[in-house]
Amino acid sequence: MDEFMQQPLQIDATRKIIHIDMDAFYASIEMRDHPQWRNQAFVIAKDPRKTGGHGVVATANYIARKAGIHSAMAAQKALELAPKAVFKTPDFTLYRQVSAQIHAIFHEYTDKIEPIAFDEAYLDVTENKLNIASAVQLAHQLQSEIFTKTHLTCSTGISYNKFLAKLASDYRKPVGVTIIQPGDVHSFLMKLPIEKFRGVGKKTVPKMHDLGIVSGQELFDLSESKLMQHFGKLGYILYRRVRGIDDRPVEYRRDRKSIGKERTYNQLLISDAEITAQLKMLAGLVADALKQQQRHGKTVVLKVRYQDFTTITKRATQTEFVENSEEAIYFVANQVREELQADGQKIRLLGITMTNLAPLMFENITLPLFH
Amino acid sequence: MKFTINRAVFTAKLNDVLRAISSKTTIPILTGLKIAVSDQDVTLTGSDADITIETVLPSSEESTNLTIEQAGAIVLPARFFSEIVKKLPDKLVTIEVSDGFQAQITSGSAAFTINGQDANNYPHLPEIETKDGVSLAGDVLKEIIGQTVLAVSTQESRPILTGIHLVLADNQLFAVATDSHRLAQRKITLPQAVQERYDVIIPGKSLTELSRMITDSQATVELRIAENQVLFVLGNTMFYSRLLEGNYPETSRLIPETEDTTIELNAAGFLAAIERASLLSHESRNNVVKLSVTAADNTAKITGNSPDVGNVEEAITTTSLSGADLEISFNPDYMKDALRSFGQSEIRLSFTSALRPFTLVPTQDAENFIQLITPVRTY
Repeated sequence: MDEFMQQPLQIDATRKIIHIDMDAFYASIEMRDHPQWRNQAFVIAKDPRKTGGHGVVATANYIARKAGIHSAMAAQKALELAPKAVFKTPDFTLYRQVSAQIHAIFHEYTDKIEPIAFDEAYLDVTENKLNIASAVQLAHQLQSEIFTKTHLTCSTGISYNKFLAKLASDYRKPVGVTIIQPGDVHSFLMKLPIEKFRGVGKKTVPKMHDLGIVSGQELFDLSESKLMQHFGKLGYILYRRVRGIDDRPVEYRRDRKSIGKERTYNQLLISDAEITAQLKMLAGLVADALKQQQRHGKTVVLKVRYQDFTTITKRATQTEFVENSEEAIYFVANQVREELQADGQKIRLLGITMTNLAPLMFENITLPLFH
Repeated sequence: MKFTINRAVFTAKLNDVLRAISSKTTIPILTGLKIAVSDQDVTLTGSDADITIETVLPSSEESTNLTIEQAGAIVLPARFFSEIVKKLPDKLVTIEVSDGFQAQITSGSAAFTINGQDANNYPHLPEIETKDGVSLAGDVLKEIIGQTVLAVSTQESRPILTGIHLVLADNQLFAVATDSHRLAQRKITLPQAVQERYDVIIPGKSLTELSRMITDSQATVELRIAENQVLFVLGNTMFYSRLLEGNYPETSRLIPETEDTTIELNAAGFLAAIERASLLSHESRNNVVKLSVTAADNTAKITGNSPDVGNVEEAITTTSLSGADLEISFNPDYMKDALRSFGQSEIRLSFTSALRPFTLVPTQDAENFIQLITPVRTY
């Protein structure tokens, strides 16, 4: 029987999308710079023996992963799994530098780059600067250029949309190049375990299993209305994904999500007057940066680090856009500060960030009342 | 304490006092209504610490049907008490506190007992000592408030702008409010010169509440100003408000003295057009309406554009149009508020340039009433 209000589906297979995933990015950088760690389990995390058991794993090399260590695991747990593993405190400044280096390589091929993290990006190479018609050839060339210039390996996935490209890069690691052709999509997706579908997380997996859905095939067999009934908007999306449909563009012009400024104080801030003065200064800097970027925001985030290094961030969202002025931003930031109720604690860092940004398409002129 | 009173008269006065009572006050006892009974009258008091309203019901006034058996005082939970009194069955209501802080409310066949608090714990009203008061016609005061309060700031970041700046000097009353994007200014000539010069900032919220209490039957309102508060006397009702502290910015310099483009039109007709144009702009992230004036062919039009929804264009009927061509964008909400304050009047809009504030004045009385709006810069 036909579904009530069924929408026609169309597969757009005209694009060439590559998903690039650096292989164990942080760990590989560290092993490149410290070859002595190459043949042993190696974990990027603060050493739990020095932090008293605190900290989580940022990432680990493939040897450590074989021992069952994965990112976001407690560092203490990783130590139990691999007592001989080397622990290295992450050096994000270095990783950011390497990431920028890799992005520069991407730009030789295309400017349509959507960064997902330091170590992951989508590239739309339908049209590319080198006029390479074969996406597979382009992926190989990119992979080897990245290796030549950085001595790091990556895995690439190629298909006609982001969903499939990401699944492809995940298919063979490390140093893989996987292409999913339109003709192969159906059989590939039917075999795919349900938890590999993006959006199907910890909470959704049990619900899927309850409905007897363990792989793409069972998902495919369910009607759109049934899926929407059980999973709402996710159901709508999954109905399309399992048919190889994902029209999301590679968002290469993604807007900045926040603009913020912070300062660290070697001479810790104690007095109210000092804190107020610094907050006003930061508010002014944020206002200037927002004006320069022609945006305004609704949410002010205050970051405070106390003498004992405990760091607190707290936010306040306004119904209207906060005016890009020192007074207006300071006012909201100070309200947030008052809510912290941490009088008397010495402060080593203050930061103000504006998020929930929108382009500043207009600005109401302000009467010069106070000057 | 015991008295019997006409329920309708009592309810009307109760409603006045309730305007000052908020359930969100920081001082718990202020969620209550104070009832004080003397040999001659019943006084009701409500306050939220910013506004205090006190009203007296004298037994000498026949319509009150007031009979007092025993003097005394009590504070009763305002919300429950008023809801009870409003729903009672009989024409009369008797309120009695015989012992402790419990009040019996009886009317016809209904009898309530509610818990109250000791009236001695209720904050004392500050005494207002002024030599002279100023008498204002009720309708005039109401009009002044209505015409200026719209420009009061709702942002607490500049507390002083949440008030109306009121200056009384010689035989003139001057009121101005601004939230820094618009400004409303009104002047009136007083029938009598005032003895002293007064320069105060009254919270906009207080004046909004006050103006709701001024009814057609309120011929005059007496204004008395003290150090940090103001008292409005409306017959048997006293309305006290805290004043805002600080110096109000000097605003007269902000009103443009020249004009390069002017149009004259009917406020109500233009308001309707702006309301239509803002239907779309409200949907959009840029709540902006643009006015374009072309002198050569004597036309003016407004346009609104919301990329997601669509756009609107409307030719504006003007009675007169002169000066240079102009394209100016503004927030239609500010324009609507300003236009409403003119009612059905013919008004004149004067512009200097696209990024300078512009003004609206009644064509017949340009001197005494002005609305100013700052334009919007679009990118």
